Amino acid sequence: MKKGLLLLAFMALPALAFAQKKIEVTFQTDGVCGMCEKRIETALLNIDGVWTADWDRESHATYVVYNPKKVSEIALHEAVAAVGHDTPKVKAKDEDYAKVHACCKYREDEVQNAHHGG
Amino acid sequence: MRRTNAFWGLCLPLSLFGQVDTSLYNSLQIDEVVVREEASGLSLDSKSATLDLTISRTELKKAACCNLSESFETNPSIDVSFTDAVTGTKQIQLFGLAGKYAQIQVEMTPLVRGLLANSGLSFIPGTWVQSIQLTKGIGAVNNGPESMTGQINVELLKPEDLVDAAESPDSEGRGDVILNGYVNQGGRYEFNEAYGVRINDKWMVASLGHISGRQQGTDINGDGFLDNPLGYQVNGMLRARYFGQNGWEGIYTFHALEDVKKGGQILSAFAPGTSVDDLWSSSMKQGRVAFTAKTGWVNPDLPDQSIGTILQLYSNEMDGSMGNAIDPLHASSLYGIQNGGMGQFLFRHGWGTWSQTSGVLLTADRYDFDFVQTDLGTTMGWTEVDLGLSTEWTYAPSDRFTAVLGARYDWNSIVSHQVSPRIHLRWEPVEKHTLRLAAGRGFRNALPLVEEWGRLATNRTLRSQPSRVAHIMGGHSLNMEEAYNTGLSYAWNFVMNYMPGSLQLDAHSTVFGQTVVQDYWTPGQRYLYTQFTSSGEPIRPMTSQTAGASFTYQLNKRTEMRLAYRYQDLRVVYRDETGIVSQNVSLPAPFVPKHRLMAHVSREFQGDWTVDVTLQRYGEQPIPGTDPSAYPSVETAPAFNLLYGQIRKAWAGGDVYLGIENGLNVMQANPIDGAVNSQTGEALLPSSAHFQTYFDATRIWGPIFGRMVYLGTNIVL
Repeated sequence: MKKGLLLLAFMALPALAFAQKKIEVTFQTDGVCGMCEKRIETALLNIDGVWTADWDRESHATYVVYNPKKVSEIALHEAVAAVGHDTPKVKAKDEDYAKVHACCKYREDEVQNAHHGG
Repeated sequence: MRRTNAFWGLCLPLSLFGQVDTSLYNSLQIDEVVVREEASGLSLDSKSATLDLTISRTELKKAACCNLSESFETNPSIDVSFTDAVTGTKQIQLFGLAGKYAQIQVEMTPLVRGLLANSGLSFIPGTWVQSIQLTKGIGAVNNGPESMTGQINVELLKPEDLVDAAESPDSEGRGDVILNGYVNQGGRYEFNEAYGVRINDKWMVASLGHISGRQQGTDINGDGFLDNPLGYQVNGMLRARYFGQNGWEGIYTFHALEDVKKGGQILSAFAPGTSVDDLWSSSMKQGRVAFTAKTGWVNPDLPDQSIGTILQLYSNEMDGSMGNAIDPLHASSLYGIQNGGMGQFLFRHGWGTWSQTSGVLLTADRYDFDFVQTDLGTTMGWTEVDLGLSTEWTYAPSDRFTAVLGARYDWNSIVSHQVSPRIHLRWEPVEKHTLRLAAGRGFRNALPLVEEWGRLATNRTLRSQPSRVAHIMGGHSLNMEEAYNTGLSYAWNFVMNYMPGSLQLDAHSTVFGQTVVQDYWTPGQRYLYTQFTSSGEPIRPMTSQTAGASFTYQLNKRTEMRLAYRYQDLRVVYRDETGIVSQNVSLPAPFVPKHRLMAHVSREFQGDWTVDVTLQRYGEQPIPGTDPSAYPSVETAPAFNLLYGQIRKAWAGGDVYLGIENGLNVMQANPIDGAVNSQTGEALLPSSAHFQTYFDATRIWGPIFGRMVYLGTNIVL
């Protein structure tokens, strides 16, 4: 019993970081679909110091909660741009944009219309 | 435009693999919206009127092994227990009551029923499972009368699950083939396969395969008996899926399996010159062939209107034996065959805040048995037909309130007319705080000997009250088992420190009007009561009262924890025959701990590593004693803890997992009575008088096999 509880506590304790100060930010991020959502959120969640991330398909708003001691706000924008999505502060490089799937090419009108029309 | 719309279709699914089931039969359940969150392996459906828990594929991966009977290790609601120390049969308990009182279905059709009631769970390989829906408390009325404690519905991988995974844009064509391999320290190996392929724009097919077994036996505790039975299982399913125009869809499945288990004494534990014929042995061979056709139609103009039909035909067979011919008084064999089928028609229609689902369900089973035990042998057969009409009305005036009223009428060839009303209420007075109330009746016809086959691994004398052999077989001479279940629950879904969590409190009461009671309280005897007679007050032969609390919280984006506690009080009425006049006594049921605790933590690490740890605590439980002068002869088994752990490394093309079961190495000291000479420690043969008097492998309360390490891999092609 004791051994088991110790092991559980060992795994759970590092996560009990309630005292950490966190910042909430929201910024626009270009994208069109569920695949984009997954790509944007995964890129952010993979950053150490990002607590939670959510991209809204309707409003294109990215909501991020992060620990400023571990990561800066500009690094969030850079991470999103690095997987091919434009933000107000960092525009994705053409070679990164080229990597997103054909149906996620949000810079093209045809794709935008298809998603809105669909 | 058409082309880009196809793009949009490809792009849309964020969760192709964990999608909401498109199957009509799910939409016909009373839960109106099944929201399945990918983040959590266990999700409580907050909009459903019943207390529904969905166990996803992700969650099932945390369970050590291998089939459905073992997949509830990380689940706070369901317990897994052994029936005996030789057949290796694992059974589940809900509210302390045996799994047979829950209605267990595979895609709304029966599998763990009839001849497969005691072992059917082991015929559903974990790799095949797409998700499990668990309803605590009385379930939907349209699915049949047999749900008393709850419903478990298992959805298996369908052709579209595999094909869609491979066709989704970010999968790089991977996902239509899943291969799984597993080995453990106890000598068990397993191989599973799932393969789906698209034929054209309307048809898809899939195959699901399973081979497992154990050829090498172990006897860790040195009692001369195998810790786990040897044997094999071959199990396969072929499925065809149709998605047509105008709302038509169908799925057609062929299923065949064979399972062989041999347990008992090992030759190498005895002196040279001992023959295999001198040993106590048990064997069981089971087989099944089944065909299922499900067809559904959703009105394309009125999505609230749909029709579904299910047709299933099956043949189940069992052939088992126990004991040794040297001691014919305690040797038994049972052969059974069950040919049957079911047909169901469901119609759903909704008008805004009201909706109704009504159905007709016909089940027919022909049973033939040949049971041999010196003074009890019998050959008998019967046909059971049940025609049920059911209707269920849902009133949902707002998101905050749902009322479901249902009733079914069954004409059953054994117990004639039966009416089973059910009610479900859901109320969310304050956002994220949900209250639920459910009450209803269920009934079933028991097959006592089949369901308790493993409990024949004893030299206790089997007695039936009233003493007619037919009663222990089932059929027309046995009355039904019936129960009323009432449940009240409260759930709170909260967000704390940006992370989701939930708190759930529930209390359930199950009161049996009639049941088959197994009485082990007289040493050397085992009674089966099938009827209670009383001149005055009605007797409730079995009552279960449980109260539970469970708490889940996501500590951060990579860590999830679960804590649960349950109190369960299961009382059974037995008959004390020691006095001049036999009298009824109410006692706690054996093999059911009063207190259960569970703690679970799962954490992901960078680089797709996952670590899971689960601790299950079983409180003290009453077990049958050996003191021949006492009635009831009760002993108390000590409380114990089972620790499970697993490390998993995932890649795009699959994963590898290494785990440990029973990490604290807990073992029941002498699981089999009378098997060993207590002075010399040498194993005894069934020819010995001591063995013949005391042999009992059914006083089992804990693990027989100690710590066990396992290794497995999933390959996705």
